[in-house]
Amino acid sequence: MVKKRLIFTLLYNDGGFMLSRNFRLQRAGNIEWLKTNYDFKNIAFTIDELIILDVSRNERNIKRFCDHIKLIGEECFIPISAGGGITSPEHAKAILNSGADKLVVNSALYNKQDFIRELVSIYGSQCIIGSVDVKKQKNDFEIYIDNGSVKIELPLSEHIEHIISLGIGEIYINSMDKDGTGHGYMFDLLIKLNNITNVPIIIAGGAGNWHHLIDGLQHDIVDAVATANLFNFIGNGFPNARTQLLNSEINLAQWESKGFIELKNSLKRHVSS
Amino acid sequence: MIVIVDYGMGNLFSIQSAIRYLGAESIITSDRNIISTADRIILPGVGSFYRAMEHLHTTDLVKVLRESVIYGKIPILGICLGMQLMGLSSTEDGFREGLGLVDCLIERFDVQKSEGLKIPHVGFDTVTMTHKSRLFDGLDAQVDFYFTHSYRMKYTEQPYGVGICFHGEPFIAAFEKEHICGTQFHPEKSQTNGLLLLKNFIKNF
Repeated sequence: MVKKRLIFTLLYNDGGFMLSRNFRLQRAGNIEWLKTNYDFKNIAFTIDELIILDVSRNERNIKRFCDHIKLIGEECFIPISAGGGITSPEHAKAILNSGADKLVVNSALYNKQDFIRELVSIYGSQCIIGSVDVKKQKNDFEIYIDNGSVKIELPLSEHIEHIISLGIGEIYINSMDKDGTGHGYMFDLLIKLNNITNVPIIIAGGAGNWHHLIDGLQHDIVDAVATANLFNFIGNGFPNARTQLLNSEINLAQWESKGFIELKNSLKRHVSS
Repeated sequence: MIVIVDYGMGNLFSIQSAIRYLGAESIITSDRNIISTADRIILPGVGSFYRAMEHLHTTDLVKVLRESVIYGKIPILGICLGMQLMGLSSTEDGFREGLGLVDCLIERFDVQKSEGLKIPHVGFDTVTMTHKSRLFDGLDAQVDFYFTHSYRMKYTEQPYGVGICFHGEPFIAAFEKEHICGTQFHPEKSQTNGLLLLKNFIKNF
């Protein structure tokens, strides 16, 4: 049986990596900071998948974003999904050629649907993640596109049904209310997703500690939990969270994370000995 | 030299990064002379079987791959679609013959048997190895790897070692027939489990 997944989302904005709270961004550092000071590999070696989103509020520099995907991918041995403002086949191709395995699309699901169909036909459903940003409003949810800046007038269930019919392979649903709060996931959302059985669901927004990750993964409908908060799981936060999840009998993949140190350059020693 | 075959299909960058992490160098090429004199060949691939075989024919790589592996005895590792291409044939996008390096058929998952299961089969899943294997040296008998595919190598009993995964039905997730190896999963995307397997392929063959 396919395992459940723990996902980390990196938010990229104009050469920097960001903290987000209710979609307001604060810069944490650049790629050097991420690799050296922040020691990102500690996280990369304990998660099942990585998502990198270009949430640049100004004009996006695609080449520079792709260079960042490559730099992160050099020492990251898990599937990588990337996206943010993908609007052309060339943009999609540049991302995949930089080492990403899947594409994340959001606004185009609403305003460029033929383009989404085209991506599905070129790369297959398994390559396309449909991302949906929502805000709670009374008993329903409002959908926002363009980095949470534009509200669209569609009921959530209708939008979800529609994007599945476009052929996307996974849904990444992010609560803007919970984003960056560390108060736990927005579980009211799951009621709206209850009848989706054939497309994996990733929930995002609000995870502050490992209890929240367990709360998410314990729902049958949830295939993966994501967190984009750079500081809620700092240091050994992720390795510890993973251990707690495995101890709680969450069906996660297992590997020896200490092995990374032994494996690095191990063939060099083999050749020289 | 470790050669990663470039025939225009798939994620070559990640495989090269994983090999570099292990401390070895590799070359990405479609040059027939370099392939035929390689120490090891890695055949990657993502996408449609039919199109991939077409690319291998138009770049004139079918013959050099078969000769290097069958007569030259160069160890080869096929990954994902690259593994499927080593089989006899596939029905993806219409019937097409493969490289014929192993006696296996590729077909879509049997949807009836996989009722209630999602296709494509995506994510980490557990592989059980049937025989002692150089490729799986140092790994547990049951080990998790990352998969993403809709077609699979049909399970039939084989005289050589195979890794079996179960998705509604058993299918061949890995094989090791002397120096001819394949993995349906992505070792370059499977954390230390995959890195160790890649290291085994480079060190033990």
